Amino acid sequence: MRIRDVVIGANASMYYKLNFRKIKGVYYPRNTIEVIAAIRHAQSNGFTVTPKGGGSGLSGACTGGDDERVMISSLQMKDVLTVSKDQGYMDVEGGIVIDRINEFLDPMGMRFYVAPSSRDTATAAGVLSTDGGGNDTWVNGTMRDNTIRAQVVLYDGRLITVDWEGVKSNDKALEAQLNDIGVTLHDVASSHGTLGFITEMRLKIRPKFTEKLVGGLAEFSECNALGKALTDMIDRQSPIRYGEAITIAHDDVREGFDPPLLILEFPEDYVDEIKDITDYKPLDAAELARMKNIRIKLPKRNPNVGVQFALFEGYGFHGDSLLKLQDNLDEIEALLNSHGMAPFGKYGHGPSKWYLGDNTPTYGLILHSREIRPEGKSGEELLNVVLEIVDKCEELGVTPKPEHKWPFSDVTKKKRLEEIRQVIGDGFNPFLLSPECNDVLGSMV
Amino acid sequence: MSYDKCVRCGACLAFCPMFDATGEEQFSPRGKAYLLQVMDQIEDDEELGKEFRRLLFQCSMCGRCEEQCASGVDLLKVWHEQRAKAVEKAPEEFEYLEPLKDALANVKNIYGLAEEDRAIYWLDELEDEIPGLEDRVYKKGKTADNMIFLGCLMSFRGSQMDVLRSLFKTLEKLDVDYLVMGADENCCGHPLYLMGDDDGAEKLREHNKSVIESAQAKNVITCCPGCLIQLREHHNLEKTEALHHTQFFDRLVEAPPKYDEAEQFSYHDPCELHRILEIKTEPRSLISKMGIEFKEMDLSCCGGGGLLRMTDPALSDKVIQLKAAKEGVKHTTVITACPSCREQLLGQDLKTKDIVELLSHTLGGSE
Repeated sequence: MRIRDVVIGANASMYYKLNFRKIKGVYYPRNTIEVIAAIRHAQSNGFTVTPKGGGSGLSGACTGGDDERVMISSLQMKDVLTVSKDQGYMDVEGGIVIDRINEFLDPMGMRFYVAPSSRDTATAAGVLSTDGGGNDTWVNGTMRDNTIRAQVVLYDGRLITVDWEGVKSNDKALEAQLNDIGVTLHDVASSHGTLGFITEMRLKIRPKFTEKLVGGLAEFSECNALGKALTDMIDRQSPIRYGEAITIAHDDVREGFDPPLLILEFPEDYVDEIKDITDYKPLDAAELARMKNIRIKLPKRNPNVGVQFALFEGYGFHGDSLLKLQDNLDEIEALLNSHGMAPFGKYGHGPSKWYLGDNTPTYGLILHSREIRPEGKSGEELLNVVLEIVDKCEELGVTPKPEHKWPFSDVTKKKRLEEIRQVIGDGFNPFLLSPECNDVLGSMV
Repeated sequence: MSYDKCVRCGACLAFCPMFDATGEEQFSPRGKAYLLQVMDQIEDDEELGKEFRRLLFQCSMCGRCEEQCASGVDLLKVWHEQRAKAVEKAPEEFEYLEPLKDALANVKNIYGLAEEDRAIYWLDELEDEIPGLEDRVYKKGKTADNMIFLGCLMSFRGSQMDVLRSLFKTLEKLDVDYLVMGADENCCGHPLYLMGDDDGAEKLREHNKSVIESAQAKNVITCCPGCLIQLREHHNLEKTEALHHTQFFDRLVEAPPKYDEAEQFSYHDPCELHRILEIKTEPRSLISKMGIEFKEMDLSCCGGGGLLRMTDPALSDKVIQLKAAKEGVKHTTVITACPSCREQLLGQDLKTKDIVELLSHTLGGSE
């Protein structure tokens, strides 16, 4: 075992104590040919394959679980391949970080409109694998909405290109099989590395918005009012360009603000509409930048005493569960408290959008959650709390882990992936589909 | 243990010059912090331990990871402590550092040259050009308002001679009351500090402190940010202010003549100067007072710090090569204010000038 085999386990989830001896190879390929070579090495030795991007996700998918496996990092596949400003797309390698995409596009007056909080680390392929979004997903869609096609290397080394029409491959029999079962980008989105290694992507790019935006801060006495305001924005399809809610923030990091609150940025023409929905306080550019900074750092900051961790990555409140946001949060908080979890922060995108496992778009509030890491709890105990939260979410009509939902709840998505894997092979990240998945994850907490 | 506060978000990967140069996660701050977090799982593996200890010294200690870390992990302190532990646990793996330690213990400089030679090479070179320079060398009983602390690189390396010439000429031109510590200067202790040997560093500092105090200096001035870290933060000087030469000259010079050469300039801000010592305004103020227009280079490391030139020279070279290529500075003059950065830039055949070279030129003292 080499130290690079250990360090590949570094990731932002609470699943980070891997059995390193099961890692049989770590690769940082620089092109598709090297990816294929790495996969062939795995296949010929009977190892599974786990793709890894920036490691900023919270699902634990990039750990590969407990299989004897080869880990393939995309971090050296970070080039922009082509840009067509006129046709509104760019081709990139899968390991390019979202912020780098926009640094590249900025001088051209173009932008890639997907903004996860981890955009300084998250790779394009990684964000598609979780179907991540961000503070402007409500108007710009999730990663799948902004992806035109993806090239994927399968476990047997064959290449497929998946777009919204279907699959293309040099292997016509494979192409036909996958098209027969209707494989599209919907399937690659949120597949958590279970299908293959994404080497290249064609992404939608658009001219930077030139409309004049204004900022505002809406403060609420309790979260049902916040849920009502978000519901109204969704019903009226208010063009919120940036919408971030904070419902709880630890004293050490809230910088004088008193959640619940909603930070907003929207076109100047909609001032009256937003005023009609909620009594917000206008923010000038500097105040807005400060609020955005407070928000974006919440997932990374720590209380003065103790360490924050992501026990449960997030909650998708929509419909009635959004209107009863406070009541539902009270129930979730009570459950957390009963297990000795002290809240650190709950914050997230609203209004926002996510897809359910059957690819139905859903609109509401994605609320991320951080707790203060309790002392003396075993991994198994912590995972059991996670599973209890999943049950609670289902009881409350809340989507558990709306962006990084794997592997907890989405039976429909699991079934679909299994169907596809019957065609393409099951060598990629099989632990996520195995009945032992929860036990494996629990062992890594 | 503050590395426990690392949430492994990976934001540091975007800025770490070691990760940039190697492309592998074990060289990144997250990778190293992660290794500490899972150390209980791997500490029994001797080979892994050895690899980890080597990794700790494959870092230029530029501090950008700590600056960027939203989780508040004091990474420089972590690396410092871990380096000390590494050397203590497996001294045989660091035998290559022994000649340096021996040199510092015996002759108090990093080159192992005789102590009295500290004021030989540059004095031989410059005494004709700068009359009375020999009298500026400190001897017991002499006092001055300002004590010049050259540091090892500037005392012994010919590649620093132009900076020294400009420094002394500028001091003379401005009628500054100064002495140079000369043979009474010990190494500041920074190299030992960087390998976690605080006790060894302290012995060197004690001597320096007594000399500076006996000279009744109000200021101790150095061109070397590494030396300044030691002088300002660790020498416990009570009546003497430790200053970078750019700070000293920026206070002293209000309106120097404008720089009259038409050159393209870039400014490479030394990591230890701006990030660790937080001296950011004075170098730029001084350059601007001379009317020099310059392009700000990215605040990334040149690879010259943290003992990296000694512990992994190939990696150090790769860091500066990548930086030079990214910044496109081949046809510009890179202004800087650190002898280590200067060595890195010269090593890539880049044209470089210390700020005091520019100042000396405008004051008519250099050429």
